Amino acid sequence: MNATAIMKHRDAAVSDGENTAAGVTDAEAARLGFRLTLPAQILVLFISAFPLLMQLYISLTDWSPLSGIGWWSAWELWNNFANYTDLAADGRFWSALGRTAIVMLVCVPAEFLLGLALATLFMDEFPGKRFFYSVMLMPMMVVPAVAGYMFFMLFQSGGPVNDLLSSLTGFPVTVAWLSDPTLALVAVMIADIWQWTPLMFLILLAGLVGVPEDQIKAATLLGANAWQRFTTIVLPKMKTIIVIALAIRVIENFKIFDTLYIMTGGGPGVATETISVYIYKVTTQDLIWGYVAAIALAILVVLSVVAVLAMKRMAQGREA
Amino acid sequence: MAEIAFRNVTKRYGDLVAVDDVSFTVEDNEFFCFFGPPLSGKSTILRLILGLETPDRGEVLIGGKPVNDVSPAGRNVAMVFQNLALFPHMTAAENVRFPLVERRVPAPEIGRRLAEVSEKLHIGHILHKPPAQLSGGERQRVAIARALVRDPAAYLMDDPISALDARLREETRVELKRIQRDLGKTLIYVTHDQEEAMSVADRMAILEGGGIRQIGTPVEIYDRPASAYVARLLGSPTMNILPGTHAGSAFEAADGAIRVADAPAGAMEIGVRPENLRVEPWTEDKQGRPVKVFEVEPLGGYTVVTLESGQSRLRALMRGQPDIRTETMVALSCDPARVHFFGQSGGALGR
Amino acid sequence: MSSIHLQNLVKKFGEFTALKTMDLVIEDGEFMALLGPSGCGKSTTMNMIAGIEEPTSGRILFGDRDMAGVPMGGRGVGFVFQNYAIFTHMTVRQNLAYGLRMRGLAKSEIERKVSAIAELLQLSPLLDRKADRLSVNILQRVAIGRSAIMEPAIFLLDEPLSNVDAAFRAVMRTELKHLQRQFRQTMVYVTHDQLEAMTMADRIAVMDHGVLQQVGTPLEVYNHPANVFVARFIGAPGMNLLKGRPAERDRGLVIDLGRLGATQPLPPALAASLRNHGREVLYGFRPEQTLLSAEGRGLRMPVDFVERIGARTIVHLGRDETAVKAVFENDVKLGEAVTVSPAEASVRIFDAATGTAIRAE
Repeated sequence: MNATAIMKHRDAAVSDGENTAAGVTDAEAARLGFRLTLPAQILVLFISAFPLLMQLYISLTDWSPLSGIGWWSAWELWNNFANYTDLAADGRFWSALGRTAIVMLVCVPAEFLLGLALATLFMDEFPGKRFFYSVMLMPMMVVPAVAGYMFFMLFQSGGPVNDLLSSLTGFPVTVAWLSDPTLALVAVMIADIWQWTPLMFLILLAGLVGVPEDQIKAATLLGANAWQRFTTIVLPKMKTIIVIALAIRVIENFKIFDTLYIMTGGGPGVATETISVYIYKVTTQDLIWGYVAAIALAILVVLSVVAVLAMKRMAQGREA
Repeated sequence: MAEIAFRNVTKRYGDLVAVDDVSFTVEDNEFFCFFGPPLSGKSTILRLILGLETPDRGEVLIGGKPVNDVSPAGRNVAMVFQNLALFPHMTAAENVRFPLVERRVPAPEIGRRLAEVSEKLHIGHILHKPPAQLSGGERQRVAIARALVRDPAAYLMDDPISALDARLREETRVELKRIQRDLGKTLIYVTHDQEEAMSVADRMAILEGGGIRQIGTPVEIYDRPASAYVARLLGSPTMNILPGTHAGSAFEAADGAIRVADAPAGAMEIGVRPENLRVEPWTEDKQGRPVKVFEVEPLGGYTVVTLESGQSRLRALMRGQPDIRTETMVALSCDPARVHFFGQSGGALGR
Repeated sequence: MSSIHLQNLVKKFGEFTALKTMDLVIEDGEFMALLGPSGCGKSTTMNMIAGIEEPTSGRILFGDRDMAGVPMGGRGVGFVFQNYAIFTHMTVRQNLAYGLRMRGLAKSEIERKVSAIAELLQLSPLLDRKADRLSVNILQRVAIGRSAIMEPAIFLLDEPLSNVDAAFRAVMRTELKHLQRQFRQTMVYVTHDQLEAMTMADRIAVMDHGVLQQVGTPLEVYNHPANVFVARFIGAPGMNLLKGRPAERDRGLVIDLGRLGATQPLPPALAASLRNHGREVLYGFRPEQTLLSAEGRGLRMPVDFVERIGARTIVHLGRDETAVKAVFENDVKLGEAVTVSPAEASVRIFDAATGTAIRAE
């Protein structure tokens, strides 16, 4: 049964006002679907699977672009998992990992709570709502590198942030944000929160809107106040969306790079060196790409675990 | 010839048997109704007729020919949906023409069929209007016209009026019956409303759990139900079915309030329809035991009287607004010819 | 005190007036049905009683407490939504317990009450099932139980049986009626099904297009409809109404129905109020009170259609404007011409222009 014949059947059935998917068995539909998505499947294969395998291959060697041989011959430099054992002992790697975890544990919850608060506000009507909505989304539209430069300027000792703090507190504030190890990390986190809270806001707003209104009404009639309604009806019904939002942000935030690198370059020293910055430095400065491949794969495994857990929860959510 | 028949059709979805060894024949030009509670297989049967499902066993026949392998488009059976599914951006005429236009039927033929079908359904004067400007009844007729313009062997309706207000339902079912009668086409109709089924059907099939429990005219099934289950399904208020005991050749139920002289052996339950119970105020000369009136529901044209005798409750349907008060005693009687007996498995017993 | 007073209640949605000046008193412990077709304003009225909507003008009093400004959470009414609004992410037990939990009742107390209400509504075996997979019949009982457990003085139900299949509807009607009798709550029940209202209500408020048409007991609205709308809406089928003019004949005052001929003479009291009427009227009689009569003593019409619905047989006579329905058991054949006439005492007359009933003097 060729594709056109199947399409004809479908069309004829639809035109009778009958159900779609008529006259085509499941097997025929599946075969057609496979053929139609073949181009996309090949593309995905090229973009994802191939580089992954290549990376795996290289990570088991000492290969570097300076070795003088093409990457496909890297087997000559086989090092038998030495990269991975080095990784385990690499102090700088573990510090970077630790710093990344701290950033994530501060930023993601902050973005979540702020986004939730804002989304809740946006459930009601207020004057200028449309305007504020566009304003809210703007940070997300800014190119991360540009945002990085923006915050770089903002956090200068003589810059606007210090000016603002001076006027608020009454006495002159000349904090050298980006030169202080702790404050630099704080600045970077502030930048990330500024840029990505809107995403949380959007996703959580969609979740809030999806909560059935009549169940909220029923709860009100049964005597629940706003907080009780929020905790017993709204939040439980948003479970799946919350998981999705958190998973997205955890994975992305873990890889934080553009904004941060432009702001601090990983400094002062290694005070703001997150895992992406570390990989970047090793790749461009030390050029031991075999080792870099190993680091990257290790991170991939960690993030995949997060993604799988989130997808499991999503599947559960769809059944419920 | 446009009979539609099933021969021993079974359809399973995994472990669930949706249609269980079903056989029936819908005659040409018949208004045939499938009636049963939700999940009894009615909609699955429709889908099997349409061809949206294929039977696991058995044959589906249209016009005498088996059509198991024929796709829905080839089966010449049309469906009218509950939500009508009229295209809002087209006029009524364009809607009705649509199936023919899609099939590339030549224009003069389309014109002829359109004229024919719109005359039969009295929609000629509204053909130029879009659905939004039509009344509910007019829209329904346009939807039916669209289904019929292909001149199908039969058309199907799945619970088309249950979403309407009660009053509108009563009027629309008469309208649908009239249309079918004027058109002379086979109509297969699914509903879970017993009054609706009895009103419109020439013949009906009672479904339960995927199987057919009885087929016949509504009057046949009402007067001679094959089982206690079927007896309870038709009629409002439902038939009083009470367990009873044999006393010699007689049968007694409701603590002696009901007593019938001749009962078949093996009778376990007796059934009497509320309209066949006669209720009169109790006086000394009445026979049998007095029974207490538990509740009186005046419905205007009828009054439902609930009676209590021992552990049993019975309901009687009386015409008009008789003067019966609660907590009073009444005499109960019934015509022995209008009584039903049911055996151990619930099946009806002959007399 | 849990009586409800609606005074001059008006509700507008922008340009559209959903409810036009409604005045109604619902007595304490009464089962009142708000009956009418879709869009008549019955649900809007109920939403205002519950506090879900605010009136555009007018007052709502529970007893003598004005409810203006009292939010819906604080009115102490039970409400059953048409689509039940069950908390689908909770179990049946949690649904039933919700209101009491919000009130802060002790756990053991909540347990006890939940068991009791589950027992009453036959939900005990289902208590720990998740609410999202249950059939409509069960959901409906959970919805009722969830509100009933709060023992509200006022119970509002918005078409609770419209999603339930026909067979189960009859069962639930009886159960709801008994529930109300048992707890003696003031119950307000919105429906479009006149049979439901007649079966369950102590009094019925018939509404159409935002206007209250008539309030009375089921038999009152059936026997003495105030206008044409009520006459047609109550009764299954509704009242037959034929246009005509009063005309004096030897035997008494009749109504001249034009093509159909003249009716039988009207009872003297009714004739008296009609004598000076002069204008067109509608001659009304109920199908259940229409009998086959001898030729010349009624209206002669052909049988167009017969509906045999078990206990009743509805005979459709004539067509279009002069269509008439009758309910009688005699065997008639399609196409056969028969003569029918209503029982004399059951005739009702309405003014053709205004639709209001003309009562006997």
